[in-house]
Amino acid sequence: MRTRTLARLGVVIAILLAAGAPFAPGAQAARKLRVVATIPDLKSLTEAVGGDLVEVESLTRGTQNFHEAEVRPSMMLKLRRADAVVENGLDLDAWADVAIEGANNPEIIRGGRGRIEISKGIEVLEVPSARVDRSMGDVHPRGNPHFSLDPGLAPAITQNIVDGLARVAPESRAVFEQNRTAFLAQLAQRMAEWTKTMEPVRGSKVVVFHPDFIYLLTRFGLVQAGTVEDRPGIPPSPQHLVNLIRQMKEEKIKVILVEPWNDIKLANRVAEEAGAKALVMATAVGAVKGADNYITAIDYNITALAKALR
Amino acid sequence: MRGFIILVVWLAVAVLPVPALAQVQDTEALRRELEQLRRQQEQYQKTIEALSERLKRLELQTRPATSQPPATGVPPAAGAPPAAGALTPPAPVVQAPGSLPTSPSSPSALDLLSPRQPFSLYQQRGAGQLLFDVGISGDFIGNITQRNVQKAQDGTFSGQENRFFPREIELSLFGQIDPYARADVRIEAGQESAGEESGVNLAEATITLLALPWGTQAKIGQMRNRYGWSNVIHEHDLPWVDRPDVYRIFFGDEGLVESGGEATWVPDFLPFYLEVLGGVFDGDNETAFGFGRLTAPLATGRVRAFFELTDTMGLQIGTSVASGETPDRLRSTLVGYDVKYKLRPENWLHPLLTLSSEGIYSIREVENGVGDKRTRDRFGAYGWAEVQPWRRWAMGTRYDWTQYPTNPGHQWAVEPYLTFMPSEFLRFRAAYKHTERSNREGFDLNGGSGRIMDEWIFQATFILGAHPAHPF
Repeated sequence: MRTRTLARLGVVIAILLAAGAPFAPGAQAARKLRVVATIPDLKSLTEAVGGDLVEVESLTRGTQNFHEAEVRPSMMLKLRRADAVVENGLDLDAWADVAIEGANNPEIIRGGRGRIEISKGIEVLEVPSARVDRSMGDVHPRGNPHFSLDPGLAPAITQNIVDGLARVAPESRAVFEQNRTAFLAQLAQRMAEWTKTMEPVRGSKVVVFHPDFIYLLTRFGLVQAGTVEDRPGIPPSPQHLVNLIRQMKEEKIKVILVEPWNDIKLANRVAEEAGAKALVMATAVGAVKGADNYITAIDYNITALAKALR
Repeated sequence: MRGFIILVVWLAVAVLPVPALAQVQDTEALRRELEQLRRQQEQYQKTIEALSERLKRLELQTRPATSQPPATGVPPAAGAPPAAGALTPPAPVVQAPGSLPTSPSSPSALDLLSPRQPFSLYQQRGAGQLLFDVGISGDFIGNITQRNVQKAQDGTFSGQENRFFPREIELSLFGQIDPYARADVRIEAGQESAGEESGVNLAEATITLLALPWGTQAKIGQMRNRYGWSNVIHEHDLPWVDRPDVYRIFFGDEGLVESGGEATWVPDFLPFYLEVLGGVFDGDNETAFGFGRLTAPLATGRVRAFFELTDTMGLQIGTSVASGETPDRLRSTLVGYDVKYKLRPENWLHPLLTLSSEGIYSIREVENGVGDKRTRDRFGAYGWAEVQPWRRWAMGTRYDWTQYPTNPGHQWAVEPYLTFMPSEFLRFRAAYKHTERSNREGFDLNGGSGRIMDEWIFQATFILGAHPAHPF
C-alpha cells in the first residue's frame, strides 16, 4: 500500500515537471547563445567577443580563490542550460569537471563542441623543468595558470573564444571576429597608456602573497622578489617571514601584492615590519570595487602598482 | 522485475537519438576518415611543439648567464611573454575553427554502434602523460574503549576495539574512456578485524555515459549508491570518523554499495537545480535486502534540489528510496530524507558553518514463528553541526538516534570532534563518542556488554595524487 502511494507520488512529480517544459528558457525559438565562464575574467572577455549574441554567466565571483571554489549544484544548473563553457585550464578551474559532469549536458563535456579552453596557444610561465611533488606546495605541473589578466595575452585568449563560439554558432563567426578586433583595438590603446604609466617603475621588485601576478609583472618589467607563502598554498612559517622581512628591508621592496581572499592582516603585518605597503590587487574582474570588467580590472592594477612603487 | 524492464526500455530509448537515424552511412564513413586525419594532424602538431620547446630549452642552456641573477619566481626567458607594451599577435593560437576531433554532443546511432579507436588517444598523449588520473588515499583509525565493549565486540569499529589499524587504503583510477563516457575504478585494502591480514577488494568500478540526450546520464557497474548525501562518500572523505549510526544499522558498516545501473535526469526549465535518479541493482546488501537477483531487484530512487539562498549560503534537500527483497522474499523498503546547509562567508576559503540531518524510515516485512507476515516500521536519524573558524581547524558534533530494523529497542550517541588539516591533502581528527543502547540483548557477546560505550577515536588521512573535488 505504502509502495503504491510512493509510486503515485513519483508519477505526479514527473507530470508536474514535464508540464513545466514548454515554459522553459530553452523553449524560446530565437535566443542568444548561453555561455558559462568558469571565472569572471573569461565572462568579461566572452562578453566582449560575443557582444549581443551571447548571454554570459560566471560560475565564480572575483573575490573568490578560484583554486578552491566549492562545486555547488547551482553551478550544474547554469551548465545544464549552457551552449558553451569557457574554462581557464592549467588546473586553475579543475573543479569545473565535477560541475560539468553533474550538469548532464553533452555539449560541454570534455571533447564536446561547446567546451572552450582558453589556455591553448598561451606561452605558459613557471612550467616546472624538474620533477615536482606536493612537498613544494600546490604546484601546477603544467605551469602558472593565472594568466587571464595579462593584457598581452588577450589576443590569444579571445582568439580561442572566437574559435569556440564559432564551433557552436558558425554563422556568427564574422560578428565574433569583428567584436574581437574592436575590443583588441581598444585594449591596444589602453596598453600604450599602461606601458607609459609603468615605465618609471620598470625593474622594481615586489613581493607577492601567492604567485598570482607573474604574467602581469613580467609584462610590465617588474620583478617578483619573493612570496609571503612559504610555498604555494602553504601558510608561511615564522622563520620564512623573518627572512622575507629581512630581504624586503635589504632590497628596499616597497610593496606586497595580496589577493582579496588571502590573509590581508598578515600581509599588512609583514609590510609594516618591512616598511612597505600591502596592496590588495584585482586578481580577477570583480575582485575589488571599480574592477568591473577586463579593462577596468587591469587599469585598477596598473594605477595601484604605479602609485605604490613611485 | 517491472522496475528493471522500465529501466531497460528507458536506456534503450535514451541511447537511440532520433535524428541520427536519418544519417547516411557514406557521410559517416567520410566524416570518420576526416576526423582520423585531423587527429593525426593534431598529433604531429603536438610533436612539433614538444620538439620545439625542447630545442628552445637546450639552446637556452648553452647561452651564457645574464648579469642579473634570477629572482624567485621570475620565469625563464623561454617561457616569458613578449616585451612590455606589446599585444601578442593571435597567430600562436593554432586551434582552427571546428577542429575538435569529435563532437560528441549528439552521437548518432551509427556513432554508438560503430567500432572506435580508443588506442589512437593513447598515441596522442604527451611525453610521460597518462590518459587517466591516479590517486591514493589512506585512512588510519585508532580507538580506545571499555574492556566490556571490546569483549562484546560492539564498538563502532567492531572487532577492532582498542586497536590502531588501516581502515581503508584506496587506489583510485579515473578518466575519460572516450568522448562519450568515463570510468572510475576504486580498489581498496583494509584490515577488518584484529590479527587479520589486510584484504583487497573492489570498492567501485563504474562506467558513466556522459553523452546521453535530454539531460540524462547513466552509470553502470558497482558503486556507492546515491542514497542521501553521505552514503556516496567514501570513509576517508566523510566529515566524521565513522558513518552515521542510521546508515550503519540500516545498511551495514559500509553503507549501501550495490551492482547495477542508475540514471539521472536534470531538468533545465526549473529555477533551481533538481536531479531525479532511478536505479536497478542486484540487492546484495545483507543488512537491508540480500536477495541478490535481478528477478527481484533492488530499485532505488532519489530526488534532490538545491537552493542558492545567497552568494554565501546554500541549502540542499533530498529524498531517497530503496526497495528490495530479503533472501526470504520479504519486502524491505527504506525511505530517507536529507538536508544540508552551508554558510561560506564572502572571501572565505572554507565554510564557516555546516548543518545537516539525514533520516531513514524503514518498512520491513518479517515473519513470525507461525509463518504470518508482519511489517516492522523503524526510524533513525542524525543531526550534525560543524564550525570552521580557521582554515586548518574545524570542530563539530553529531547526534545519532536510531531504532533497530527488526529487533526491539534503539540507541543514541553523541560525537564531538576536532579536525586539523595541515594542508588540503593531510588531515588529523580526534573524536569522542558516547553511545547508549536501550537494551543489553544482542550486545553481550563473550559475557561483555556494549550497552553503554565511551570511545576515544583518532583518525589520520592522506591523499596522494589526483582526487576529484567534492560537490556541495
